[in-house]
Amino acid sequence: MKKVHIVGLGMIAVAIGIIVSMASDYSTYETFTSEKVKAGRECQVVGTLVKEKPMEYDAAKDANYFSFYMKDKSGNESKVIFHGSKPQDFDRSESIVLTGKLNGDAFEANHILMKCPSKYKNDKLDINGYQEVSATKS
Amino acid sequence: MIFENEFTLPGIAGQLCVITAFAGSLVSAVAYFISTQSKDETVQLSWKKFARLVYAIHAIAIAGIVGILYYIIHEHRFEYNYAWEHSNLQLPYKYLLACFWEGQEGSFLLWMWWNMVLGFVLMLRAGHKWEAPVLTIFMVVQAFLASMLLGIYFGDYKVGSTPFNLLRNVMVEAPIFQRADYLSFIKDGNGLNPLLQNYWMVIHPPILFLGFASTLVPFAYAMAALWKKNFTEWLKPVLPWSLFSGAVLGTGIMMGGAWAYESLTFGGYWAWDPVENASLVPWLILVAGIHTLLAFKKSGHSLRSTFLFFILTFVLVLYSTFLTRSGILGNSSVHAFTDLGMSGQLVFYLAALTIPAIILLAINWKKIPSPQTEEALASREFWIFIGAGILFISAFQIMLYTSIPVYNTIMEAFGFKNANLAPPVDPKSTYNAYQLPIGVLILILSSFALYLKFKKSDMKIFWRRMIFITVISSILATTIAWFGDLFFPTWFALLFASVFSITANLYYFIIVLSGKLRISGPALAHFGFGVFLIGVLLSSAKQHTISFNYRGIDFGQKMSEKDLHENQYMPRGSRENMGEYAVTYMGDSTSEPNHYYNVRFERIDSSTKQVIESFVLHPNAQINPKMGLIANPDTKHYLTHDIYTHVTTVPDKTDEDAQQVAADSFKEHIISKGDTIFTSNSFVILENIEKVEKSNRVNLEAGDLLVGAKLSIETMDGKKISAEPLYYIHNGVAEPIEERISELGLVFHLSKIIPDDSKVQIDVAEIKPEKDYIVMKAIVFPGINLVWLGVILTVSGFVVSLIRVFRRRNSISSIQVSVGEV
Repeated sequence: MKKVHIVGLGMIAVAIGIIVSMASDYSTYETFTSEKVKAGRECQVVGTLVKEKPMEYDAAKDANYFSFYMKDKSGNESKVIFHGSKPQDFDRSESIVLTGKLNGDAFEANHILMKCPSKYKNDKLDINGYQEVSATKS
Repeated sequence: MIFENEFTLPGIAGQLCVITAFAGSLVSAVAYFISTQSKDETVQLSWKKFARLVYAIHAIAIAGIVGILYYIIHEHRFEYNYAWEHSNLQLPYKYLLACFWEGQEGSFLLWMWWNMVLGFVLMLRAGHKWEAPVLTIFMVVQAFLASMLLGIYFGDYKVGSTPFNLLRNVMVEAPIFQRADYLSFIKDGNGLNPLLQNYWMVIHPPILFLGFASTLVPFAYAMAALWKKNFTEWLKPVLPWSLFSGAVLGTGIMMGGAWAYESLTFGGYWAWDPVENASLVPWLILVAGIHTLLAFKKSGHSLRSTFLFFILTFVLVLYSTFLTRSGILGNSSVHAFTDLGMSGQLVFYLAALTIPAIILLAINWKKIPSPQTEEALASREFWIFIGAGILFISAFQIMLYTSIPVYNTIMEAFGFKNANLAPPVDPKSTYNAYQLPIGVLILILSSFALYLKFKKSDMKIFWRRMIFITVISSILATTIAWFGDLFFPTWFALLFASVFSITANLYYFIIVLSGKLRISGPALAHFGFGVFLIGVLLSSAKQHTISFNYRGIDFGQKMSEKDLHENQYMPRGSRENMGEYAVTYMGDSTSEPNHYYNVRFERIDSSTKQVIESFVLHPNAQINPKMGLIANPDTKHYLTHDIYTHVTTVPDKTDEDAQQVAADSFKEHIISKGDTIFTSNSFVILENIEKVEKSNRVNLEAGDLLVGAKLSIETMDGKKISAEPLYYIHNGVAEPIEERISELGLVFHLSKIIPDDSKVQIDVAEIKPEKDYIVMKAIVFPGINLVWLGVILTVSGFVVSLIRVFRRRNSISSIQVSVGEV
């Protein structure tokens, strides 16, 4: 057997090792009621902001405490506490990805990724003055 | 219906150019293909001539697309979706180009443009033997790219998306487009994402895409070599191309890092974000390919892996494009992805180029020459091979993990419901856990491999030098670790390996190469990599937040939760402690569209309590009515470290101006110079009444008169603020121009001037005071300059090697010696 072959086999072994260890590294998208979340494991939850429920953030009181309610993809609602400042334009977010774990009644997020399509791409046509014109005409 | 003021000619011309570019690349590919396959030299030549002609037409068409698109954006022709979506009237001239690559179509156009330029260079330099096969591959790729801009339906399937779409054809449902005069209502475009309005964003994408485009050259040569069964000669022209590609792609990637550091707020230059990974992985494989190429050139070994690496580099560029352009990454990246519904097309092209390449390589694998003798353990080529293997493993791990969202799609395609794999919870530490040991190995390898000679080395000298370098670098590393508190095992391993690499490559440069810069490309690149990783180590291990919020929170025993309070509340005027600084938020200023928050940093000497240094940072936020608030950091640069700040929350001031003050809430005061007005929270002294020649609150015209009352306000806690309400006479009509001091809730009007008594009437209203504050974050990045320096040195190493290749070629050809060795 040539050295190169040994090296090649070694590399394949390492590559398989990485694939196997990925099984312990990847995380999953869960819902608030799934077993993993209930067990207090760290995972990711995708959902939308519940706009009717209160958002709490008072920079003067605690600049690193922000709470809100989120509805996950199966429709379960939960209170979410984020130890950080309130992301700007949070109200306008279209979808939210939380990373964190359940702590008592609330989901404690250590990372929030919000998708705010309007931030990058405005799907709505915004035209100055058009509304008034159509109103006077009709 | 005829739409008023619509200018459709450029769109039609542009679309014609797109079709011409697409058709031209196909025809040129076919012509080059026939030329390659033909045995007869005259047939070869005539087809080649024809292919070149079509290529020229294709090139003109691409230039036409670029020119017309530029015209549409420059002239603000908002009837075109591209101009409307990516630009607006306020956009500064210098960012017009950035509009091109905000959209997907523009990115493909940029890529095509570079391919076209590189194709011309190849035509001039490739020589008769290689031009036809290499450009066949080129033009096939170019046809794929051009088809991404077609926007034409074949049956129900839409191929590509054209940048020349009219807005009314994109938003078909909007009722406004029923009107012939719809354009008169579309006053302005959507505007360019403020994050892209940055000089890095003007230069980073073109360089990155030149890097991506240039990886096609080694790929096309490799394919041509397999096709023509000419397995070795292609490496000579590919060497400079691959060095060029490595330098440009590397620069492009790190410019992206510099942009992220300077204008994004995730606090760093690298976050293992899928978009970053997708550009890094092809570079790693490309570098592996450059190394095996060199090993082959000197020893005859590693030819097969060179083929593999150069093919893989381009395949990975395509795969990266698929990842970042198909929307498949969805939830896993902070970057914006626009899915134009072309993922099917991208998958098809990926397969259409990858599968033939792999088949071609597989059937020729045994025919590719490989020496019977083994590499010696004490030879440079053996360790180059190992190093390339480690680079491959590095790329493999990054790609495997970045692709996690792809597995969901694949599983769903095979009928698994609810595939819910998500990227690692903490990507930074997960990727670092693999890449840090790999970095250590690469550093060590890239240091000692240079001391080994190709084929056979004298091990006695080798070991003597290695021992010397190990001793020196152990001492240095321990000293640095002592001062920097870096004895944590993984940190120390990286520190030692970096110092080892720096020492070894410096020693090699000075002693072995006797300081000849001309031939020290590899040593310089490896040295730079060592410097880079020391910078990475210091800026990540020793990075610390100084903006801890202590207000209203009792940490008690939970000091570990300090990490959760990295955003500091800063009321205006209050001096807060941050590390060795006393920091004061002094107020904001506006320079549309940016709001600058002026934050003063004062370094206090701990014993004398004297301010020894003072500077003001201006982290800003762009409050864009359409896109919301976008924060931009500001950084104080020192040689040894940076202080990086950005605002995370600011009070919403948008309705402050709208706060109307009822007329009856004003109290009249008729006073003269030196008199005092008392309010509920302050007293106000009239200091002077004077004619004002210039003001940024009023646009003065000839014949106007402007008078100001200089007021000095002193609050109960002794703070002094000045104010100046104005009295403005324009065309004989007098009008007071108010002065509002939001933080005290005071509104002043200078409503009458009584010249006889030299008195004035000042009306004062009290409204609810506005709280002025910011929430900000400040991070110290030590050693960040080593990161940039390391990148510059590494890229310089590529450039030095590239110059050397050219010099040798020129000197060889000038003395008419047959070229045996490059």
